[in-house]
Amino acid sequence: MWTLENLAAGAVYLGLVMYAVFGGADFGGGIWTALASGPRTPEQRDQLFNAIGPVWETNHVWLIFVVVTLFTAFPEGFAALFTVLMVPLVIALIGINFRGAAFAFRHFGRQTGRPVSFMASIFAASSMLTPFAFGMAVTAAASGKIVFMNGLVQVEPWIWFSPFTLVGGAVGMGICAYLAPIYMTVRSDGELRGDFRQRGIIAGLVLGILTAAEIPVAMVDAPLFAGRLLASWAAFFVVLAVLAGISTQVLLWRCRFLPAQIAAAGTVTLAMTGFAAAMYPDLLVGQLTLAAAAAPTATLRAYLSVLAIGIIILVPSLLFLYWTFRGAPDSELPH
Amino acid sequence: MADLLSARALMGISLGFHIIYSTIGIGLPFMLMIAEWRSLRTGDESYHQLARRWIRPAAILFAIGAVSGTIISFELGLLWPRFMAFSGPLIGLAFSMEGFAFFTEAIFLALYFYGERRLSRRMLFFCTIVLTLSSATSAVFVISANAWMNTPTGFHLVNGVLADVHPWQAFVNPAWAHEAVHGTLAAYAATGFAVAGVYAAALLRGPAREHHQRALTLAMTVASISLPLMLVSGDWAAMTLAVQQKPKLAAMESLFTSTRGAPLVIGGWPDPASGRVLYGIEIPRFLSLLAYRDPDALVEGLDALPPGTTPDPRLVHPFFDLMVGSFFIMLAAAVWFWWLRWRRRSAPMGRWPLRAVLVASPFGMIALESGWLVTEFGRQPWIVHGHMRVAEGVTTQTGIGLVLFTFLVVYLVLTAGLLRLLFRPASAGTQIPSRQEDRHVDS
Repeated sequence: MWTLENLAAGAVYLGLVMYAVFGGADFGGGIWTALASGPRTPEQRDQLFNAIGPVWETNHVWLIFVVVTLFTAFPEGFAALFTVLMVPLVIALIGINFRGAAFAFRHFGRQTGRPVSFMASIFAASSMLTPFAFGMAVTAAASGKIVFMNGLVQVEPWIWFSPFTLVGGAVGMGICAYLAPIYMTVRSDGELRGDFRQRGIIAGLVLGILTAAEIPVAMVDAPLFAGRLLASWAAFFVVLAVLAGISTQVLLWRCRFLPAQIAAAGTVTLAMTGFAAAMYPDLLVGQLTLAAAAAPTATLRAYLSVLAIGIIILVPSLLFLYWTFRGAPDSELPH
Repeated sequence: MADLLSARALMGISLGFHIIYSTIGIGLPFMLMIAEWRSLRTGDESYHQLARRWIRPAAILFAIGAVSGTIISFELGLLWPRFMAFSGPLIGLAFSMEGFAFFTEAIFLALYFYGERRLSRRMLFFCTIVLTLSSATSAVFVISANAWMNTPTGFHLVNGVLADVHPWQAFVNPAWAHEAVHGTLAAYAATGFAVAGVYAAALLRGPAREHHQRALTLAMTVASISLPLMLVSGDWAAMTLAVQQKPKLAAMESLFTSTRGAPLVIGGWPDPASGRVLYGIEIPRFLSLLAYRDPDALVEGLDALPPGTTPDPRLVHPFFDLMVGSFFIMLAAAVWFWWLRWRRRSAPMGRWPLRAVLVASPFGMIALESGWLVTEFGRQPWIVHGHMRVAEGVTTQTGIGLVLFTFLVVYLVLTAGLLRLLFRPASAGTQIPSRQEDRHVDS
């Protein structure tokens, strides 16, 4: 169990969870700037933008962390994934680019007092595109359709496109849209808080329906993965995720915002843990195991020691960041 | 073949683009640190104000640097999966360590940029120290991966398969030290000149303002301290190349045949057909002297290795000369600037020396880009020198031409948007909104 490749796979899993729980909320913020509605539309947008400002670059580094861990610890698997999933990954990358640039342009362009609604719409569109493409890419690895033989992945142009991955993309987007408004309830008050609470509850329902739908779709379209998900530990985590999701809804309903925020992050973490448990022990379901994809022992050792030192530096810095920018977001821009 | 060319072009464009932003990401924190330190030390508020003025353009540049760096990390897999499957276990460590340094940089950048209301002045200064250190170490770490491609160590090949892997040995490969020192120092020189150029332009355009003068002096100080260090580290790099990467040195100097008392060739066009450099200026024996400290030393030419395993001097020699030439342009501008500062301490700078600084200001970036091209083209046709050719590392996917086209459009749009934003009427760093305007925007 505690083999070196499992520990390294744990780092990939941890990176993905952190990216979803922190970076995902930033993407969700972008999605809700597009879906902002009602009498307080501009306030909702501004609040979302201001909350994303100080943290999005840091949250984004988790993605780079995942990529680097993959190619250091699982070079064969990295090569296979990035070869066969080129199209969704390129789409995600374009989304990341336009999103980062549009955010910076919109955020700092605003200082001159000019309207930059065009940037805001690019920001919103790419905030949807990127998690959708990532959702597709991650679920494609679980689909069991990618064939890996004799150390080479079979290149098939549309392998990443199926009902299973399409729902996976929607779940990816749903996770982001779910987290952002719930996090915002803690950082706003009055009627605005009510707006975010209502949107969190709706997003929770949508995400619940989407993830529930993915199970029957998987039974038809990705039977190997579905079989593993419903047997073993994975099912246990899925049940926990459902319970956490229901608790979040109840907490939101009763206006217990801080516990709701923690429960929402827990829901996403548990759902992803269920997914990861169903993937285990494979990197490409049914084709490439973690052990077969892993780098030599010396590399795994060196990587894990770098990880240990890195975490010692990272954790206090991250805590300091989130602690400094806790509470209501500043409406003033840096200058 | 078309896919290989597209992959190389895309990787080159992405790196060339990213290098500019990451360079500013290394140089600017150092200048922020000096300004904040002076402000704390002397109690002179204007230095703190100067640093805060840089935040708006810096935040945009850093954001683009972060996303363009993400493109690079993805492209390693999208374009070069077979190279990464081979070398990931060896250079992955450099990228992992760089990742943590970059993480630290992103965190303290956010704290410094957005923390004006929430952190003390001392804490803001502390943030700039962490920023300076983490951005420099991030460069030093990631350059190790590039150096490993030039001088791969830390493994053995048994029947074409990696064996006996020592990732730490790969990390401290022979070319790392000189590449890391030369490359990181270059970031300070390039950023210093770029910033100096912005303020020289501002002084030339409008009435002299105190903070323009201050910023110009600060930027020129950073740049001018780096310049002599660039010369020393460049000399060290050349001497090390003469031992470790002979074909690269031969291509840089267009030395077709191994020669005793080899000349240094300035300019000209290398002609592989005749094996000579057309229209170049030769300094007799100078290459032997520079590389081995002996005017009669034997310098290996491109003919020392079998054909098809050496770089094309037509892609290497011109960029090498451009890098060295850029250095002398910057040196001339810096010498003139400090000579006048020393002679007439308090008098405002005349128009001609300001123009000289303005003309010299892009040459730091030009030198950096061409130095990078020298090291990349000089490694060809290898992606891992002596072990894997570039053509063996490329993806088995097809349609890379379309990916190249897509990203070309992305980069064009990004650059156009960035230029529009930075060169708005109230151009970057020269004017910031007052408190009232700020409130107005927020209400």
